[in-house]
Amino acid sequence: MSRWNAADAAHLYRRAGFGAGRERIERAVDRGRETALEDIFSRRTHEESLVRGLRPLLALGQIEVLAAWWMNVILRDTAPLVERVTLMWHNHFATSNDKVNDVRLMHGQIQLFRDKGLGDFRELLHAVARDPAMLVWLDGNANRRGQPNENFAREVLELFGLGIGNYTEHDIKEAARAFSGWGLDGRAARFRDQYFDAGSKEIFGQRGNFDADDAIDLILAHPACARHIARRLLTEFVLPEPTAATVYEWARILQEEEWNIERTLERLLRSELFASPAARRSRIAGPVELVAITVITLGAKVPARDAMRGAAEMGQSLFRPPSVKGWDGGRTWIHTGSWLARHNHLTAVARAHGERVDLASSYGRPAHRGQVPDAALALLLPEGVDPSFQEVLARAAAESDDLDDALRRVTGLILTSPEYHLV
Amino acid sequence: MALSRRDFLADGLRVSALVPFLPRLALARRAEQAERRVLVVLQLSGGNDGLNTVVPHVQDAYYRMRPFLGLARGGLHALDDAHGLHPAMGGLGELFQEGRLAIIHGVGYPNADRSHFRSLEVWHTAEPFAPAGEVGWLGRMADEIARRTPGSMPALAVEQGNLPLSMRGRDVLAPTVRDPQGFRTQGVSEELAALRDELLKARSEGDLGFLREAARTTYATAARMSAITSEPSAVDYPGQPLAQQLKLVAQLVQGGFGTRIFHLSIGGFDTHARQAPVHADRMQQVSSALTAFQRDLQATGVADRVLTLAFSEFGRRAAENASKGTDHGQGGPVFLMGAPVQGGLHGTPPDLDELVDGDVPNTTDFRGIYTLLERDWMGLEPSTEVPAMPLLA
Repeated sequence: MSRWNAADAAHLYRRAGFGAGRERIERAVDRGRETALEDIFSRRTHEESLVRGLRPLLALGQIEVLAAWWMNVILRDTAPLVERVTLMWHNHFATSNDKVNDVRLMHGQIQLFRDKGLGDFRELLHAVARDPAMLVWLDGNANRRGQPNENFAREVLELFGLGIGNYTEHDIKEAARAFSGWGLDGRAARFRDQYFDAGSKEIFGQRGNFDADDAIDLILAHPACARHIARRLLTEFVLPEPTAATVYEWARILQEEEWNIERTLERLLRSELFASPAARRSRIAGPVELVAITVITLGAKVPARDAMRGAAEMGQSLFRPPSVKGWDGGRTWIHTGSWLARHNHLTAVARAHGERVDLASSYGRPAHRGQVPDAALALLLPEGVDPSFQEVLARAAAESDDLDDALRRVTGLILTSPEYHLV
Repeated sequence: MALSRRDFLADGLRVSALVPFLPRLALARRAEQAERRVLVVLQLSGGNDGLNTVVPHVQDAYYRMRPFLGLARGGLHALDDAHGLHPAMGGLGELFQEGRLAIIHGVGYPNADRSHFRSLEVWHTAEPFAPAGEVGWLGRMADEIARRTPGSMPALAVEQGNLPLSMRGRDVLAPTVRDPQGFRTQGVSEELAALRDELLKARSEGDLGFLREAARTTYATAARMSAITSEPSAVDYPGQPLAQQLKLVAQLVQGGFGTRIFHLSIGGFDTHARQAPVHADRMQQVSSALTAFQRDLQATGVADRVLTLAFSEFGRRAAENASKGTDHGQGGPVFLMGAPVQGGLHGTPPDLDELVDGDVPNTTDFRGIYTLLERDWMGLEPSTEVPAMPLLA
């Protein structure tokens, strides 16, 4: 393997967090990969002022306010891996406020992902099954003895736990009975014995008087479950289409690590697969990560609300995934309307030079116009680009009025180049 | 008992006998005309309550099953002796009287599923018997148009949400316009645009090639659209989003933008609880927007080449529920609007004493309407072999 360099460091920070600015990348290159990993895994705390500021925001009861707050947490970049994993679980257990219609419940769920998202997945899945927002979202609160509602049972098998093809309609019916009895008491989840179907159930061919925890345990014990979660980790952190063999390997490792997401990720991020060319810039950036990576890499001061709205325009509204499947991602992010939104948002960031961002400082103070293209590329596309790309940037710099104008033009061109939209 | 596939085909065959045989020359002429024709599809998302849209007011069962939601006869806009349109649909009522609106009763698909996702998939792909693929019926037409007319923009979505499956082609990347003013590209000076175009010139494989193509399409579209949408409209449109989106469609048709398939949608039809005010609002929005659109097309002399289809993924239960709403049902009415339609009521009117599982049954296979639009209207390959419903004048 070649020497650890800026492209390697940028790849690690883009995937494990939401990118890194020039100084952090330089430090990572100087001190090596282990130091960078240590930096990513150790920064875990959220600013006191942010946490304290949340209470009055929740009282407003507006989901856009909460979405802006979350975006702010991401942009402050004090707990990159935690927020990256939280966003992953938000997509995995995709719950929308469009139905839940309660900002506190939505925040409660995201906080659950923040608290347990790096821990034992088995604990997380048990907790999700009785998460109040989830009980509303998938009608767990309406699932009663004699009046089963199969919504949660179906999705926990199809989307959260196993994946399609690993269970039968009979399993869904029976699992729904096991999940019965849960409901909301105010905003708290509560088990109500009189609504629980205590009869015998048959799930995956096993019979017993199963309750919700038993059903979750049966799902976790199903061989497809570890594969399903391993695939999620691989597609989120490494590459969009892992081979079956890779999925099996990481399912084994996940179990070897006793389902601990953090330890599994430590191995995944150190793996040859992660460092391989196949993994580099292999995924079309989702709107939230695109917006966040841009702000953090450039060290821009974009208000969280603008960043949140930018991502929403591009097709990703936090707390409002389009369905329980989450965001489909990949090429479905891209159509003319969303490309236009990407163009307009990123162009605005580049043009805010001198106000919300000091691009000269982002790039290490290039001395004159001619140095801008290389300096900007070194930070934004450190993997390198075609000579024709470099030539276009050189012309943009040469045709500019002055250094500031060159910074704006070159940055605008890079941020709106298709290359930049691969992470 | 649900209708089997054979019942549907048999019904379709009966209908096909009504389609007159066309001599070859007439077919050729028709194909030529067809190349300028436009199809506008409006999706009423969530499952529109058909029985409170086209109200069967002579049936006692209607008022018996809907003690709270039943609409009084007096406020309806008469369609025939037995049916009237929702009180908030006055505009469409007038168009119906003028013969510019066809309403087809009880449209749905075989093996009805009450899931939003599954039902939309079926409507989007015209495939009721297999899991949905990745290509929709409008996308398929867009692919065919693009093959015949390379470099054109065959299809355009004008909406807030993501591109619906119906609009996904195998080759064509149908753009979405979110702003009813059209595309706006910010912060691009002319020289920067030239440099950017050069950055996008290189062809490549995989996601990078896909992104470059998307970017090229976007910038080309934005430039053409802004030229067209600066023209004023012939009629006043309501300020509501759907009306403003239809206004953009009209401008693009009038301005010769060249797009032949437009998709729009309006949500809020999943009325499980406290339905009346929400549904009335949607009826008003749909009626006033479609009416302004049709009047605009007529005023500017392009009405003879535009057809508008309005559909919903399913109808709702005949009986209201305990929450003053209605739950997911099966068949529902479909609207086909335009100067070239054979106006009036078509298909089998719902008989509320003959419900299937408490639902208005699917008595007309939607794919017969698709065949009409695909083959007879657009002059393209139909999605299925289900014979066309004869709804053109």
